Order: sequence, then structure tokens, then C-alpha cells
Amino acid sequence: MTAFDVWGERKKVEAFDPMTAIERKEGCVVIHADRRDEDGRLIHYKVLNQLVRQIMLEGERHIVLDGVMGHRYIASTANRKDLYLEIHGTPGNNLGAFLDGPTIEVYGNAQDLTGNTMNSGKIIVHGNAWDVTGLAARGGTLLIKGNTGYRVGIHMKEYGGTKPAMVIGGTSKDYLGEYMAGGTIVVLNQGGQIDRSPVGMHLGAGIHGGRIFIRGKVEKHQLGPGAVMNQVSGEDAPELEALISQFEQTFNTRVPRDWESWVRISPASSRPFSGHYDPTSV
Amino acid sequence: MVQHTSSKRRMELEAPDRFRPVVDHELCRKCKKCVSECSFRALEFVDGTVKSIGGCVACGRCINICPVQCIEVRQIQSMFPPHANFNEHVRRGIMSQATTGGVLLTSCGTDIPYPVMFDELLLDAAQVTNPAIDPLRETVETATFVGGRKGMLEVKENGRLYMEKDPGPMVAMDMPIMIGHISLGSVSYNAQKALFAAAKELNILAGSGEGGLHKDFNVYSQNVVSEVASGRFGVTGEYLKRTAAVEIKIGQGAKPGHGGHLPGEKVSALISQTRMIPLGTDALSPYPHHDIYSIEDLQQLISVVKEATEYKVPIGVKIAAVHNVGAIASGIVRAGADFITIDGFRGGTGSTPRIIRDHVGLPIEVAISVVDQRLTKEGLRNRVTVFAGGSIRSSADMIKAIALGADAVMVCTAALVAMGCRVCQQCHRGVCSWGIATQREELVSRLDPEVGAARVVRLFRSWNEELKEILGAMGIDSVESLVGNRDRLRYFGPNSKIAEIMGVKHVGEGWG
Amino acid sequence: MPGSTRDRGSLQKNAFDNAGNDRLPTPERYGATRPPGLTYQMGGCGIAGCINMAGGRISGDAIGKMLETMGERENGLGAGFACYGLFPEHRDDYCMQFFLDHEHAKSTVEELLMSLGSITKDEKVYTHRVKTMLPPFPMVWRYFFRPNPRLEWRGRTDLSNDDLMVQLAMHINSDVPGALCVSSGKDMAVFKGNGYSYEISKFFDLGRYSGKMWLSHSRFPTNSPAWWGGAHPISILDWSVCHNGEITSYGVNRKFVEMSGYRCSVLTDTEVIAHTWDLLVRKHGLPVQAAAFVMAPWYHRDILRLDPESARLATWLRLTYKEALLNGPFSIIVGRREPEVTMIALADRKKLRPLLCGRSLDGKTAYVASEECAVRVVEPNAETWTPNAGSPMIAQVGKGILRNGTEHPFVGVG
Repeated sequence: MTAFDVWGERKKVEAFDPMTAIERKEGCVVIHADRRDEDGRLIHYKVLNQLVRQIMLEGERHIVLDGVMGHRYIASTANRKDLYLEIHGTPGNNLGAFLDGPTIEVYGNAQDLTGNTMNSGKIIVHGNAWDVTGLAARGGTLLIKGNTGYRVGIHMKEYGGTKPAMVIGGTSKDYLGEYMAGGTIVVLNQGGQIDRSPVGMHLGAGIHGGRIFIRGKVEKHQLGPGAVMNQVSGEDAPELEALISQFEQTFNTRVPRDWESWVRISPASSRPFSGHYDPTSV
Repeated sequence: MVQHTSSKRRMELEAPDRFRPVVDHELCRKCKKCVSECSFRALEFVDGTVKSIGGCVACGRCINICPVQCIEVRQIQSMFPPHANFNEHVRRGIMSQATTGGVLLTSCGTDIPYPVMFDELLLDAAQVTNPAIDPLRETVETATFVGGRKGMLEVKENGRLYMEKDPGPMVAMDMPIMIGHISLGSVSYNAQKALFAAAKELNILAGSGEGGLHKDFNVYSQNVVSEVASGRFGVTGEYLKRTAAVEIKIGQGAKPGHGGHLPGEKVSALISQTRMIPLGTDALSPYPHHDIYSIEDLQQLISVVKEATEYKVPIGVKIAAVHNVGAIASGIVRAGADFITIDGFRGGTGSTPRIIRDHVGLPIEVAISVVDQRLTKEGLRNRVTVFAGGSIRSSADMIKAIALGADAVMVCTAALVAMGCRVCQQCHRGVCSWGIATQREELVSRLDPEVGAARVVRLFRSWNEELKEILGAMGIDSVESLVGNRDRLRYFGPNSKIAEIMGVKHVGEGWG
Repeated sequence: MPGSTRDRGSLQKNAFDNAGNDRLPTPERYGATRPPGLTYQMGGCGIAGCINMAGGRISGDAIGKMLETMGERENGLGAGFACYGLFPEHRDDYCMQFFLDHEHAKSTVEELLMSLGSITKDEKVYTHRVKTMLPPFPMVWRYFFRPNPRLEWRGRTDLSNDDLMVQLAMHINSDVPGALCVSSGKDMAVFKGNGYSYEISKFFDLGRYSGKMWLSHSRFPTNSPAWWGGAHPISILDWSVCHNGEITSYGVNRKFVEMSGYRCSVLTDTEVIAHTWDLLVRKHGLPVQAAAFVMAPWYHRDILRLDPESARLATWLRLTYKEALLNGPFSIIVGRREPEVTMIALADRKKLRPLLCGRSLDGKTAYVASEECAVRVVEPNAETWTPNAGSPMIAQVGKGILRNGTEHPFVGVG
């Protein structure tokens, strides 16, 4: 590991020019996020994101971020539909927050809050994503090759023609799809044990729109309030096929179409808590 | 008008009626239901109209029973010239005693407008620095356990963790509410049946009161706390062994230092049989237990009851909140009690002298804080379950009582109100028109136990949901993290000394 | 473009931190002495830990890097590090490390120690002036202490050496003005203070130390004044706790430990957590995963789905220790030295705070952090996972990862 002088006295060095982190290549622009400033510190996320914005405005369609290490808020509100952002390393929290159009592909694990309130676009993670992935997503697609954590897909919603979708290759934990108001989540349980549920407890707690498809064992006590569980039906097949094929092509893998091992979680009603409140004037 | 025994009534010297039912004769259908339903005989059908003949106590029965709702019960304000000091209440008391020469008797809880500290406390909520929790979608636990604990648990290891034997008897309740002790005698068979059935449905406990347990109610015994009061009514070995827990009643919040009093009017054949006393006699419980004259005697009684129940059920003690309640509670824990109930002075009763009900005791808000602080200081608090009672009127009172230091609350009057009671303070007369505080067959039959039970169940279920809403808003997902958590309360009243005594900060005082 | 002009005067330099964020003013700063009127501190933060289970040593640079990568999680009002396996040549002495505000506090502490035992060695803890840190700078001093055998403490002759050290540290923290004992365990020490994690790291020159295990914490407290003593890790005996979150049951938990003889002087929920671990595991003898279960228990309706023996144990653990239930969001890293250097990581049962575990490919080193990047920056090829809510990850020197946080609560070694 390269040593760097963080702990010593500050030497007289030239001021760091962030523009030196940019490397222009044939067909793409690479930004080296692992460059260090004169204090020996990694480029700050504000600097990195500003560089990305600047290059986006120049009209570049393919941007590569290399050596990302915990940098937060990358590509937030980015709205160029033809933009392809390739990330190597570990992007920090809130990757692609409010995303509206671009495609982001991560070669590594993502952290929390990936795709937070995304409007449209695509986020692909060749690895795991952790807690609160896809929070309040309104549209677009999230494809996660590995596992996700807690509170994934909370309050995803759909309106008009836009509908968000998230496909998780591995497993998820408690509170998947809590407050769901629309959209589709698919959990594939690849590489998981067949007798262990690929999701946790409080599944779809308060769901009042949308649907969750799970390949694997799900028991009734795992369901949250307002969620019902059924077998996958013929009507679901086209949507599922489309999402799964997209997953297979993206990650070069095969997903069994063993529909009898799948379940669909959907809302019992669009008003799961009516009758809970007493409107009498006292 | 007060019932009295003197032969010659001087009407001009007696206090006039407080209430008068007023019938709207244009709407009245002359069905005469109100006349037959009024158990206080305040209405008569004379010359083709319904007329008020005096004696109305505003029990509200006629108002609800009239098919066209044409009766209004008015409080007759003009009877006394206004005087803030010699108020109506005081003048009526004087007039009554001058007529009867007796100790004024009454029922329900005190009606004097003492300050209610519950109404001067505000609860906290979580904002930013920690999250509120949504009880509709995420788990918020309200289960409460009754019983003694030993302060630590021995856990053994053998490839896996295990424990050898249960440390002691423990009873689980689905919510931190117990229906308080209301004896068969002070209330009717149907009323007690409704309360027991509600307790069973809710999976909580209900007190049997000091009237013993009627054999018809054995089916509810696993949700009943039996009571050993000074009169020992119905207390047999079999009774003690049958129920889920046993409570030794030292006192009751409504009448500290006073025994129980069931007037002869209410000792019907049924009561006589259940309490094992002669028909029509007054059922009096002595003031003290005559085998408890000091704290070590209490230890003796607790120990003998534990032996009698073979250590299989929790044994507790109920005391009225009096000025030295902290020290007394400490003594009770050291005497071996598994749970303690503190009953505040605003609690209700079926019959009590007014002087004691209105002027003796401590409010539960202060009492429970003092007890919790004292037991904590002595390192005893985690050995017992503490109940707080004495006018818990709503879920807000319940939540604040828990935050002040109670593991659970004891609720009586609110359950009766759910079944029809209007708190008219006439229980001691035994002619309750709602069929609750009476033994008269024709009145008792007015209360349908199934309907009553269902109403009590709905009431407490909604309180439990409100508890969850507040816990969630505070970012707490299990009620045991609110017990005695006085940091979650702020006092919003005029008397900061009271806040200090209760261990509650004043509004505006932060904690960081 | 932020970061392009670097030569600002000294006054301006302090007004911005290295990330170009406004450094908010904190007019009140305290060293060892507790700020007057302080009744409670809260805050959010970042935590990180690493342990070399093969018994090798990790340099202080590594832990500094882990926290530095998560720089967004701190606001410069406190950071700290705990190192275990630090003084092998003094492994049988209690290493008491103090913040001392003045000479009088120092001499009071020394007199007290000498009256209760012997000081094998004492030394000033190395510190290095950091330009961006503001005074006060308490003296940081270290004593290797051995209590007298058959010692009497306030009339009691039944206290073990460990019990005595706990009483002694609590006494000094509450009753000796100007002195604060920041750690008092054997073969370990806590380095913490008022500043950013990289400032504290530089202040103590952590690169000169290496140990079997490091825990660290960077703070984002929500109130001033800034206080050296308030930073994490909070330590009692050989226990140290780094905590991200806020305990909503603080009032209840505090009463519980105080009822069992502990005194709270730092007035944070983290202090109560440290006392609770010492009480449950050392004093009451609960196995570590039972203590973790007490603090983050299963819900009753899930307990019912366990096998009957486990359900009974689970219910009685919850009942007996209901005042020790830690309510509210938390991720904690707990370190202990007895019987062997161990790292415990635990998240609350609703998983409201992040917690990530990692392991090097050769299986020798385990990591815990609030964010994945903290692990990747020191171990690029680590295997990472999240433990289950309420389920402890336990890693021990000489034994490896005993529990990874996804197991049955009562079955298995740990």
C-alpha cells in the first residue's frame, strides 16, 4: 500500500488541481477518484461530483470513475438519458440519488441508499448493495447482482406510465418493500440455500400498491401488515420474463424459470388501515 | 332527595334536587319507557303525561332509553345563590347532615376539582436525532409480565445456552392494563361476568374484588387476580389456588385507612352465598387485617399465602397512596411481595364515607413517581412489578403513569363507563339503573354481559393502539423502555416543586 | 472550484475543515472537567474496528484510514481510538490513562493511586501539536498500576481487583475535579479527544502504536460544548464501546446500572452501554451472546417460534433484564480483553443504523465499520456481509470469528 504523509507536517507543495484527475481517452473520459490532494487526502466527493457534472455538460456520453472509495452522492440528479457512467471501486451512500435518465454501472459493492428517489434511468451493481436501496423510487431500473440489506425498496411508487423495477440476484433482509405504493421488486435467491428464505421479516409491511416476486421459501409469519402471498400467475409472466431476461443479459447468468418455487406478494387492499381510526367528535 | 329515617320531614330545610328531567311533550310518544326504566323513581305517568317527581340523580338512563330522545336532564343552577367559598357542595353537605346526623356516604371517585397532574404533563417525541417508529407497520411491543424477579439469571453453556429451572411464577398480559378489583356485591353478577370475559378475551388480568369468586366464573380463573382483604370473604384454600395471582388488599385509594363496606341492601342471596355471610347483613371489612399490625406481620401473611399456593402464582399487595408511600412500598418488597399496586386517592369505590374519599390520600401521579424513585434508590425496583391505579381515565393517563414509574395500570371506572356507567355517584344505594352497581334482578338484567364485555374489549384495544402510537412517536419499540423513563415527560403546570418531587423536568428543559 | 486555492491565512484556515465544509463555532471547550450544567449528550457518528485474530499486530495508521474514508460522519467535535494488546511487557498491570486539567488534579490522582497500590511505571502519553485543534489541551498521562492485595476500599474487603478498579475509576471521574480516567484496563488504552479523527490520530501519533485490535469512533454530536471526555470510545475496566445512534431508553437503562452500583459521570448513553456489558458479562456471568440478546432481544412473537428450551430462556432473559433492553437505533462495537482480546459488533433489532462486517481473504483479520468503504480502503479484497439485526458478530484472537451475526441466538460457540 502506498504510504502518504498525512501524519507529518504539511510540506510546501503545489496546490492540487483537481483537473489533473481527468484523463481523456478514446471514446470516454476517466476520472481518477483515488488521486490525493496536497494533504494526502482522497479527492472529496464535492470535487469529484463537480468534475462529473462539468464533463457531462461538455456532452461526454461515457464517463469512467476509477478508484472510487466511499465517495457519496455520485451522479445525483443527473438527467442526460444518453449518459453511461462506469464506476470502479466502492461508491459511497446515495449513489444516483434523484437519478433521471443515465445508466450507472458499478464494478464493486455499493453502499446504502443507492438509487434514492430515482425518477428514471438504470443502476447496475456487479456486487452487493446494502441498506435502504431504491428508497421512494418512482421509475427506472435497479439491477443488483448480489445481496441487499435492510429496508430495501421502501415506498416505491408508480404513476401514469412510469413504474420502477428492482431485481436482486441474491437475498434481502427485513422490511423489503415496506410502504410500497407501486413498482416491482424481484428477488432471485441465486446461490442461496433452498430451505432458507431469501427475505426477512415484515415483508411488504403496509404495501398498498405494486408487487414483489420472490424465488424461494416465504412463510406467512414473514408477511407484514396488509401483504398477501399468492403463487405466480400467467398474468405475471410477461413482466417477470422481461425483467429476468434483462438481469440475465446484464450479468451473463441463467435464472431458472421454476415458477412453482416463486411467490408473489401484493396488497390486500389499497387502504390497509381503514377501520383503525375513530372519527367521532367527542 | 336523601333517603332518611326521621319521621317528620321539614321540606323547607332540606336541600332541593340537583337535577330535573325535562320532557319535550311535543315529541313524547307516551310509551312510558322512561318511567319504568328510572330506578330512582324520579318520573311518573300522571294525567296522560310524563312528570318529574323529584329524586333525579342524572344517571342518564332515561335520556338514552327514550325512543325519540326527547328528555333533557338539567342541572338546576338557580337553587343556590352563587358563593365561591360556601359553594353548593358545602351547603348541601351541611343541610344533609343536619337532617340525618350521619356520616355522608357516597361512591365513585372524588368529584372535588383538585388539580390533576396527568393534565399537566406532556410527552416527548423523537425528532431527527433518533427516528420515530410507525406502529402500524413495524413491531411495537406492549406485552407486560407480572411477577417477582431475582435481579439476575443463571445461564449455562453446553454447546448451546440454557437455563435450569424457571426463577419464579410469572403471568403474561398482552397489554399493560389490569381491570381493577370490583367485588361481586359492589357490582352485579352480569357486570363482573362482562369484566372477566373481557379480561379473558384481551389476555389481561381482572381483579375479583373482595367478594370471592362465584363458581360460575371459574372458567375465567386464569385471568383473575383473587383478593385477600381484611374481611376474608370467600377466601378458601381452593380459591387461592385457582386464580392466576393473589393480591393482599391492605387499602384502596378511594378510602385509605378504611375497610370495605357493602350495605345490607346489596347483600342478596347471591352475595350471601359467594361471601359466605348471612343474607341482608352489612358486609363490613375491618379496617386493618387483624393479623397485620406491622410490616413483619405482612411478611407472615405473604409467606403463608405463598405456601398455600405452593409458590405457583405471584403474590402481591395493594396499598392506598398515603404520605409515606415510598417507605411503605420498600417495606412491602422486602416482605416478599411479587407485585405491588399503588392506588391513588382519586380512585373509585362502590361505597365510602365522603370525608375519606374527598380528603385523604395522595394522587397517583406523585405516589407512583415517589415509589419508583425510592425502590430504585434502594436497588429493589427490578424485583417487583408495580401497578398504578386511581382514576386512569384514558390512554394518555395510562402512558403517563407508565412513564412516571408503573409497569402497568389498574383501571376500574373507565371499564364501567364503557358498559354504561355515567359516574352519577349513587352506587351505594344499590339501584343502579344500568344494572352495574346493584343486586336487584330487574335492574341487573338490563346489562347484557356479552355486550358489556365487547365494549370493554374495544375500549382497551384502542387504548393499546394509542399506547403504540405514542411509543412509536417516541422512538421506543417496547413498553418496558418507557417504564419509569421520566425523561420522556415534561411538567407544564404552575407548581415546580411538584415537578421536582415527581422527578420530572419542566417544559423547556432539555437533556443535552 | 473548491480546493483550488490553498493559501488562506491561519484564521481562515480554521474556518473550513479539509473538506471545505464550514467548521461551525464551538465557543465552549472543556478538557477533563465536565462542562457545567451538562446533563446529557447525544449525537450521531461513524464507527470502525479491526482485529488480527492470528495474534499479529495492526498499526494505528490502518484504523485512522478506516475512519478517514467515512469523514462525512463526523463534525470535528470528538473522535477516539482504543487499542488492545498494546503493552505486552506490562500485561498484568492496569494501564490507567488520564486527562488532567492541572497539576493539582495530577497529584491528587497520584496520591490516591499510591495509597491503594503501586505504580510500576508512569509516563506522559506522547502528543503532537496539531495546528487546527483549539485549546484546552489536557495533560494526558499514563500509569501502570497494581492494586495492593487484600485491599480495603471504603470499608469493603470483598472487592476483587477488577471491582476495585471500576470503583476507583468511577470515583476519580465523579469526585476528583480536573481529572478524568479515560481507560483503566490491562494491556489496552483509549486515545480520544476534541477534534476530527485525523486530528486526534495525529495528536497522539497513532502510527507509533500497534496492537491486536483497534476500535474507533468519530462523532457528530448535536450540542456544544465540546468536551474531551465526551468522545468515544467510552471505557470501563477493559471494556470499550464505540456507539453510533441514540438510546431512547436511556433513562431506564441508566437507572438500572446505577441501581447495580455504577456511577455515570460522562452522561452519555454510551457510558451506560459500557457499564451494562461489564455488569451482565463480568459480574453476572452471562455468556456474551446472552448479554447481546438482552440488549437487542427478539420480539415476543418471534420467540414463540423458537424451540421450547430456547423460547423459555429467551423469555426469562427478557423478563429478568428488561431494564437493560437498549431501545432506539444503535450500532455498537465493543472490545474486551478478558479472557482474550475480543471484538463484538451488534446492531439494534430494527436495524436502524448501518453495520458492516468484513474478513480478509486469508481469514486472519476481521473488520467492522459503518460503511463498506472503510473496510475496502484497508483490505481491498475483503469478503463483506451485514450481520442480522440484534445478532452479535464475535471475533476473538486465537479463535477466529466465533459468530458472524446470522446464527440462532443460543446455539453454537461464542
